[in-house]
Amino acid sequence: MILIIGGAYQGKLDYAKAAFSLAPEDIFTCTGTEIDFSKPCVNALEEFCYACIQQEMDPIAYVQEHREDWQNSILICNDLSSGVVPIDPVQRQWRHVSGRLCQYLASEARQVSRIFCGLEQRLK
Amino acid sequence: MTVFVSGGAKICKAGVAQTLAVKPARGGKRYYVATMIPVDEEDRERIRKHVADRNGLGFETIECGADILSCLQYDTNSSFLLDSVTALLQNIMFPPEKNYEMDLDAAEKCAEDVALFAKSVANAVIVSDYIYSDAQRYDESTECYRRCLAKIDRLLAQVSDTVIEVSAGQLIFHKGGLPV
Repeated sequence: MILIIGGAYQGKLDYAKAAFSLAPEDIFTCTGTEIDFSKPCVNALEEFCYACIQQEMDPIAYVQEHREDWQNSILICNDLSSGVVPIDPVQRQWRHVSGRLCQYLASEARQVSRIFCGLEQRLK
Repeated sequence: MTVFVSGGAKICKAGVAQTLAVKPARGGKRYYVATMIPVDEEDRERIRKHVADRNGLGFETIECGADILSCLQYDTNSSFLLDSVTALLQNIMFPPEKNYEMDLDAAEKCAEDVALFAKSVANAVIVSDYIYSDAQRYDESTECYRRCLAKIDRLLAQVSDTVIEVSAGQLIFHKGGLPV
């Protein structure tokens, strides 16, 4: 599995498309609490986390349960780690679990790339 | 050459950018393109501090709150320090003279103009701000602003010879190396 992280609008998906020759139909974009791991690339994992928090579900447990399904995937998640601790409990929890999910996925990944202004920085 | 410098707040981006802009100028001219339009005493204090920091470095200041291409009337064979794209976009996207109403077309043009400016001068050091890694659901106009700034940042990173992220005054090179 390859994990791609970075701030908002940094070109994470564009990088993935170019580096791994992905077509639009290869990409699943998270909007809710389910992930279609049959697609080679899963984008916007932070939105999956947000939906889970709202539904009081544990996104990390979900991802761990599907561990076999994403062994060869390209996973993309926004880095939400900077800025002030959000006052809103949902946003606070969102930041917390997104960070923990990225830690877990980074430890499992064979490659971790951070995208900064469209440029790749290899972290692992 | 063009150097793009970004990073978080209060991590010495301006200091790093000044050092880089002074280097290639040697005997040539150095221009500091000041983009902030001060609205209160706090802004004026920040400007005073930045002016004091630049003291003795030989910069001539160009006040440029919006039309970056107007800088091309100066000696383009010089070294230009543009600090910052963030303030420039803010002035252009939410123009004070139009009651701060969002102007998306102007924001689009800003990206092209800054890239053209960078290409048209001998040496440019351009500073932006990395405002993309927080866990906030912003209002639509703030989100729009972040998106537009990121677009400029990415275009500048693409056309620049060197891309540097500053962290605690230290340099992380994402592209190229130090100007010689």
